[in-house]
Amino acid sequence: MMGTSDTYLIRPNHQEKFKPAVVKECIREVVRERLTGVRYDDEEVRQLSTTLADSIKDRVKKAGFDRYKLTVQVVIGEQRGQGVKMSTRCFWDADTDSYAEDVFITENLFCVVVVFGSYYY
Amino acid sequence: HHSMSALMLQLYFSQDELIKELRQTLNATIGGEDYNKDQVNKWTAAILERCISDLCKLGKQYKYIVTCAVTQKTGAGLHAANSCFWDTALDGSCTVKWENRTMYCIVSVFALSIA
Repeated sequence: MMGTSDTYLIRPNHQEKFKPAVVKECIREVVRERLTGVRYDDEEVRQLSTTLADSIKDRVKKAGFDRYKLTVQVVIGEQRGQGVKMSTRCFWDADTDSYAEDVFITENLFCVVVVFGSYYY
Repeated sequence: HHSMSALMLQLYFSQDELIKELRQTLNATIGGEDYNKDQVNKWTAAILERCISDLCKLGKQYKYIVTCAVTQKTGAGLHAANSCFWDTALDGSCTVKWENRTMYCIVSVFALSIA
């Protein structure tokens, strides 16, 4: 299932470790590609948020974090000057697990993406 | 939500139970409050702390990720979506949408098996 990686490793080596900077770049690329020039429209955004989540997940997987389970959360909202606060707490293995995030804001919408990477031993 | 029923078996509680607990946590922390940008940090921290500690009390072989978004009601639209690469038999998630007169709150719980 994993190709050539050693299935008895319980800690990722440096190569395999979830790299937030790399993942953040993946998120940025996909979001800019899909949302540049898009105006907030309820129906369109409903679909867009789902496809964006799937695309980002696929893109991050391609970046090679083979031993990681990924959870991608995309929130797209209409920009009307309202306050929005998003936070997260995780109960996991801080040595191996991590996350990356990015925020994209235009004058009529905002998009927050978080990707969590959880190592499976 | 077929992965959620596998999760139910694994965690031995119903999704309804978790949803009920999440709603109770939200009612207890922000139920009577009006959106206040100076309090929002404190509220989300309290919500997340309670959620994580309730989940850990279950004593199951899972890692948990909990996210919480609080937004002021202004008539603006909001959509959230998740996509996961995980073990479809053992892992699962649960999302609760909650609101009062002045704000919306979306809490998502992701449970990742380490079995």
